Amino acid sequence: MKNDSAITREFLTRGRSETCPIIDMHGHYGTFSGIYFPNPFADRMLMSMDRAGVSAIVCSSHAGLCEQERGNREMAEVVKKHPGRIYGYRVINPNYPEAARREVERYLQDSGFVGFKFHPSGHGYPITGEHYVPALEYANEHRLIVLTHTWGQSQYDGPKLVAEVAAKYPNATIIMGHSGYGEWDVTFEVAREYGNVYLDLCAAYRLNGIVTRMVDEVGSHRIVFGTDQPWFGPHFCAGSVCFSRITDEDRHNIFHRNAEKLMAPFEV
Amino acid sequence: MEWFDCNTEFGIPTKPPGRFAPTPHELLDEMDFCGVQDALVRHAATRDESAQAGNRLVCEETVDARRLHPVWAVLPPQTSELGTLDEWFAAMRAHRVKALIAYPDKHRYLLNGLTFGPVFEEMSARRIPLILGPDWRTIAETLADFPQLTVIATNHSSWGDDRSFRPLLDRYERFHVDTASYDLDGGVADLVKRYGPHRLVYGSNYPIMQMGGSILTVAQADIDDDARAAIAGGNLRRLLSEVKL
Repeated sequence: MKNDSAITREFLTRGRSETCPIIDMHGHYGTFSGIYFPNPFADRMLMSMDRAGVSAIVCSSHAGLCEQERGNREMAEVVKKHPGRIYGYRVINPNYPEAARREVERYLQDSGFVGFKFHPSGHGYPITGEHYVPALEYANEHRLIVLTHTWGQSQYDGPKLVAEVAAKYPNATIIMGHSGYGEWDVTFEVAREYGNVYLDLCAAYRLNGIVTRMVDEVGSHRIVFGTDQPWFGPHFCAGSVCFSRITDEDRHNIFHRNAEKLMAPFEV
Repeated sequence: MEWFDCNTEFGIPTKPPGRFAPTPHELLDEMDFCGVQDALVRHAATRDESAQAGNRLVCEETVDARRLHPVWAVLPPQTSELGTLDEWFAAMRAHRVKALIAYPDKHRYLLNGLTFGPVFEEMSARRIPLILGPDWRTIAETLADFPQLTVIATNHSSWGDDRSFRPLLDRYERFHVDTASYDLDGGVADLVKRYGPHRLVYGSNYPIMQMGGSILTVAQADIDDDARAAIAGGNLRRLLSEVKL
């Protein structure tokens, strides 16, 4: 193998790196309609994380994507049972604005949450819509993280819409889940323009050359590791980063340093 | 561990992905970077231009690259575009082609027994693997008609196709799936636990996808080393060793 990265060799031989842990900023929790998961719940998720040296993951509940109040309660229980390993995003479903508002008001009730999870495409509601405003204002006021699903050309969460949100709420950290998959040029422009925007590798990591391109065009200091676990295993994303033509400093940034910075206010 | 990739391509595609390998040299360079020893390889022209052009180019351009094992595309025998069946298999033997691929959508034909009956019967007897994309209905119908056909299903959905392909693994012992998109958390170990290690083959779908994700997933799956070696390359080597040209 001509890849001379020490981190890559460590992952290949031991499955994890002692000097380069991983923090996964894009996880989920529980079963979901269209897919079979071998590892949908905490006990097996943690085993998978341990094999890859994932020290912590930030999750939103699948149940919450459907029924936010029940799902967020479930997520709070999981976070409470696994402090320091599993953190939470509180899901906002804008199709039920009153419930969404109640979820924002409940935010401070549960420790271990670091912000909100939006899925505008899944909910068929644009990220710029008024029903997201209470959560965004709260995130902006309290400097929270908003992980939002993004997809290229989407009328709900395409990168141009993310730019509007990033400009309006500069104190909120906006993680572009899947990095506006497919609409790369616009996504990278948005990330360069707005310092509060981060790129998430989840699903995007598969594409040949995309990690290197993100590093070259935006910088490794603005990219975070994400898997959608229990959808995708951490080794697939880690392997994509390990076998990209970037430096080990870039790998440190992507695997843990950027996440450590973002999570510092939440005592990771 | 020796890696043998069942799913690679070189050549200049009509729609270029982020990175690609215009020639075998660039493909070998990427394989060396990732530690992959061998690969089944097709030419981009096989899909995008024509089976005839790509089948010729993949052999011409890999003649000195013994680590690259050419794959040809099939076409319906009724149009005689690839010669008679005897000529076809003689040409495969001459050019050391041990696996075939089908592009029914791109090449516009029906992949079924009506179209390919004699071809699939001969391929079953000769144990020549057929590489297919993840059209599960078509694969299920094909295997129902030709249960002894060796099939490697590639590029199945990252959004989870286990519910679709596991019934085929249950029924057809010569049906296999590649690992190019099998990033399901715990998927490799879970599949090996139920079906043993001989139904998965390492594949990358390079250059659309990168090689390393699948490599690290197999290398660190919660399975024993024999199973790992089988998936990395042993299964594909065994399948190709069984081919009778």
